[in-house]
Amino acid sequence: MFSFALKNILFYKGRSLTTFVLTFVSTLLFVVYVSMMDGSHKSMLQNAIKIYTGAIEIYHKDYRDIGGNEYLIQDTSAILKKISQIEGVEAYTSRYETFGLLSSKNNSAASMVAGIEPEKEKSLSSISEALTEGEFLTEKSGNCIYMGVELVKKLKVKLADEVAFIGAASDNSFAADIFRVCGIFKTGSFEFDLSTSFLSRDYFDTLMLSKNKASYITIKVDDLEHVEAVNEKIARVLDDNLESLTWKTLMKTMVEAMEVDSIFGYISLALFLVVIFFVIMIYGFINVSSRIKEFGVLRCVGISNSNIFSLLFYEIFILSTLAIAVAAPIGGYICYYYSINPIVIEGIAEMYKDYGIISDEIPFDFSVFTLAWNILLIYVLNFLSILYPYFYINSFRPIEASRHV
Amino acid sequence: MIELQNVHKYFFKDEPREVHALNNINLTLEDGEFTLFSGPSGCGKTTLLNAIGALDEIDSGKIYFDKTEISALSDTARTSLRLNQMGFVFQAYNLVPVLSVEENIGFIMKLRGFSDSEIQKRVLEVASMLEIDNKLKALPNALSGGQQQRVAVARAVAAKPKIILADEPTANLDSKNSQKLMDMMKELNKKEGVSILFASHDEYIFENVRRIVKMNDGEIVDA
Ligand SMILES: Nc1ncnc2c1ncn2[C@@H]1O[C@H](COP(=O)(O)OP(=O)(O)O)[C@@H](O)[C@H]1O
Ligand SMILES: [Mg+2]
Repeated sequence: MFSFALKNILFYKGRSLTTFVLTFVSTLLFVVYVSMMDGSHKSMLQNAIKIYTGAIEIYHKDYRDIGGNEYLIQDTSAILKKISQIEGVEAYTSRYETFGLLSSKNNSAASMVAGIEPEKEKSLSSISEALTEGEFLTEKSGNCIYMGVELVKKLKVKLADEVAFIGAASDNSFAADIFRVCGIFKTGSFEFDLSTSFLSRDYFDTLMLSKNKASYITIKVDDLEHVEAVNEKIARVLDDNLESLTWKTLMKTMVEAMEVDSIFGYISLALFLVVIFFVIMIYGFINVSSRIKEFGVLRCVGISNSNIFSLLFYEIFILSTLAIAVAAPIGGYICYYYSINPIVIEGIAEMYKDYGIISDEIPFDFSVFTLAWNILLIYVLNFLSILYPYFYINSFRPIEASRHV
Repeated sequence: MIELQNVHKYFFKDEPREVHALNNINLTLEDGEFTLFSGPSGCGKTTLLNAIGALDEIDSGKIYFDKTEISALSDTARTSLRLNQMGFVFQAYNLVPVLSVEENIGFIMKLRGFSDSEIQKRVLEVASMLEIDNKLKALPNALSGGQQQRVAVARAVAAKPKIILADEPTANLDSKNSQKLMDMMKELNKKEGVSILFASHDEYIFENVRRIVKMNDGEIVDA
């Protein structure tokens, strides 16, 4: 039956070519689609972390639950020194966050004001890249404040305007100052852009009496895949009153949102597969309908149903193996290539900034495992697609079928 | 030996357009006989051959193939009976277009599990009897109608069936090719001892045949 199948394939070239192309195209599309889905997933995660949350953050216990000046990290430089020696840590910085009232001539708003180390912050978060107007902070930028675009709108201020700050210093004493708007940023997260502003720690610490203190320390790791391992190492060197947490804990809601997103991803994937399946099956069905007479004659002379099944099976097996053998390396290569050299569409990040996209790169992901299950799935679909045509053929009695026109 | 007892077959039973295609057929066909079913178009020849060939069911009566009652067999058993005991020749040749002449001739043998060397030997033998041994590598559509039908006969006879059923095998052929095919089938019947049953409404073939079963309106009028 195998060589008979092969001869059928070679004889009916048009039909074979169409089946080949269908399988080829669907394999290619599928592989690339899955790669982009996985890729955008990964990059969403990376972006989310890049904006402001670290892969790992160190807090004084209870700071996150209760907060307040009693739960600040006290000896920041000593801890930073320990962390700097841990393998897998790429960068780290400390932040001092406080809440206060910002007022312009026209309006007031509560804001989280964070003292940051501008140079270090550049390699840890993307707030410097989110700049839309003016300049990002420097160590020596003094009373310059770097403000979210929504907060700027609310206060009705513009670059170089002054805003008054009132808050509580780290010793709970009263703190007040005048800041100057030097830079405006937009991350795409409305909440964040409405409620956040930054100053250089050098200046802010003097006002808040927070030198060497920190709300928390944020850490970037070499490889996100190893974040748990690095976190364990960090936890081991910390004093008992400190805790170190990974992004999974820090961004619980974000992670949940991503899970929902991946469910939608899988639903669209399933739809995609259903479409492929029906295209292949309908085409297979059309093929078989044109072969009713051929199969009828064969059954009249004594070919059994299982012979017919093996014939159809071998035909689809040969064609889909060929198609997949060609499509898989090409698809795999495309994904691999673009995962290393991402496609850049100039301006796409600008256009979609509101949706939290902060890069012009179209993300792809390449993994041999993903490729393998993609291929397997297309195979299975192809085989399933011969079942209906097979039963359709058998629904004819041989003698009827042999006279079929 | 094939035996038909009180065989009835209807199309559209119990409908106004009901056709009584086989009306109380009783017939015995001995092994090795060469039998022609004759009669006007629509008299039931095809229906009768299909019933004997286990291709179609009957409404009542019994058909025995040797001691086996065909009408009581399952689909699978009928398929295997056709494969192992019968050869078929159709009006429209019905060769497998993707297979060469020799592969077509050896097709049934292959399905039945003969070895390649047996098949090769037998294919040569029947091909030379039917004078198509110079076309073995050709594809069917490169052959004339007469040649294609001889390939079909070769395919039917190659696996040494007990009987060959041929429904209007000459209907698509001119008189010269029809005559040639008839002569060759008679020759096969004599040399190989295979029973041949065939249906035709061509008058001039009659003179070649020993036994003629005349039919009319679903009934046998002269056996
Ligand atoms: N599949 C069918 N459905 C309905 N009627 C049929 C069918 N096959 C044959 N008949 C009818 O049965 C009768 C006998 O047909 P058939 O055996 O084909 O005659 P013949 O082969 O002698 O020309 C005819 O009246 C024909 O119309
Ligand atoms: Mg007929």
